[in-house]
Amino acid sequence: MDTFQFEIRDLTKVYNGKTVLDIPHLTIKKGSIYGAMGPNGSGKTTLLSMLSLLLSPTSGKIYFEGIDIDEADKHVLRQKMTLVLQNPFLFSTTVEKNVAYGLKARGIEKGERKKRIMECLELVGLEGFEKRRADELSGGETQRVAIARALTLYPKVLLLDEPTANVDRRSVDVLEGILKELNQRFGITIILATHDINQAYRLADEVISLFGGKIAKSPVENLFKGRVLREKDIFLFDTGRIKVAILPETDEVSHISIPPEAVIISHEPISTSARNSFSGEIYQVADGGDSVTLVVDAGEKLTVKVTKKSFQEMRLNVGSRVYLTFKSSSVEVF
Amino acid sequence: MEYIVEGIRHALRLIFSLDSEIFGIVLLSLKVSTIAIFLSSLTGVPVGFFIGVSEFWGKKLLVTIFNTLMAFPTVVVGLLVYSFISRQGPLGPLGLLFTPRAMVIGQFILATPIIVALTISATQGIDPRVKITAMTLGAGPLRTAVTILSEARFALMAAVVAGFGRVIAEVGCAMMVGGNIRGYTRTMTTAIALETAKGEFAFGLALGFILLAVAFSVNLLLHWLQSKRD
Repeated sequence: MDTFQFEIRDLTKVYNGKTVLDIPHLTIKKGSIYGAMGPNGSGKTTLLSMLSLLLSPTSGKIYFEGIDIDEADKHVLRQKMTLVLQNPFLFSTTVEKNVAYGLKARGIEKGERKKRIMECLELVGLEGFEKRRADELSGGETQRVAIARALTLYPKVLLLDEPTANVDRRSVDVLEGILKELNQRFGITIILATHDINQAYRLADEVISLFGGKIAKSPVENLFKGRVLREKDIFLFDTGRIKVAILPETDEVSHISIPPEAVIISHEPISTSARNSFSGEIYQVADGGDSVTLVVDAGEKLTVKVTKKSFQEMRLNVGSRVYLTFKSSSVEVF
Repeated sequence: MEYIVEGIRHALRLIFSLDSEIFGIVLLSLKVSTIAIFLSSLTGVPVGFFIGVSEFWGKKLLVTIFNTLMAFPTVVVGLLVYSFISRQGPLGPLGLLFTPRAMVIGQFILATPIIVALTISATQGIDPRVKITAMTLGAGPLRTAVTILSEARFALMAAVVAGFGRVIAEVGCAMMVGGNIRGYTRTMTTAIALETAKGEFAFGLALGFILLAVAFSVNLLLHWLQSKRD
């Protein structure tokens, strides 16, 4: 099974003459967790709706396990996956009947149905809720019932739109734990939309950043994955190639981001209070109007922004050796 | 004033003595209206649902037409049905004129637009997530439709009850196509009209009370069902 769970080619969606989604190519690997991240209106929900076959693309192709969805029986494909809406809707009946809904649609017999319902309610920590009325539940409980309702289907793909947007902090932890466990135990491919960068990096194996309907290279620049090392009383973040001093005194950091504007560039090492200083070589130069974006290879490739004036005065160019300096407090941690 | 009090007293006597003529009239009214509403629901709910959930050219006009038809004058319906089933009419050979069946047809025509129009608004009032949720859970088109109707069930019950309220209380159509034949096509409303014209207030009042009681019970039943909630 070396096919992708999903493959997208030249996909666009146009609403009222406005392109809301434009993805030239995207692949989703089986058994991974993907975080589709971006602000409101970035196209996250549209992407999820198209992957779950609720919306048809304006142009382009979507392949599900190598099958062109335009040529497949959509009803059959829909039964292999499920989408949990941002504000899940529970049918105005009991929790049990809600969770049973998709199983009935698949013609699963009563005994098996009962077994799966119990199993999945337990998984989301709602055992004993079977006879409760769905409209009497709290936001977090509603979200969990919706997830249980999705899980009973044993889907190959679980799509979730902002699964924790409307739940309290404690429920967020519970839900994230459930999603991780599902992915690890059953190998379910999970694609979740979120506007919370921390959540995206906490959960996802891969993050898809959307901005204005397009996939952005990186939502936050100079983003590195790694772990925290302690040297005496200094907290260092080790990316594997470089060690960056960070301010928050915690070990629970898995990603850092260095804002390009926060980095000072110089020809010679400068003596300042900033804890981070690296030497490197300019690898790439891109003109951005008033400013110039430089990519400096300092062990890791770091993107740095300088004004056009400084760029010219300093006579910088590809291959120039420079020093990069930035404060530990400017490093964002996730 | 005196004769009204006397009328009420006499009416109560008639009701509690289970007067066989009154009993027969009430039974016929209920029978005709129940059959008509059953048939109206059978056609009106699917039609209303289809109009409610689908998008097509001329939908607004169609909805307006059904809304207008909710106030279809009963005598006009009576006239229409009469012209079709009278001996010279296209359905004349069926011999329907002045039969309970003719009244069922008339009441069917009166109730269906009400049920259609109220079903349209009931399905349009349903949360759009119902359809999406059903689809994401793998429901086919039929199951999705049934789910939407099930979510709209209280509004649908209200639609059916509104239709019943209209036909059980109408007099024009039943009079024209039923003929108000004693012991055969005499309903509560036609009887009240006749007895009042004859000066038999007590008889008319007794039927009036029963008619009110029926309307009241049906609404009470609806209210009870809605408060019971599943």
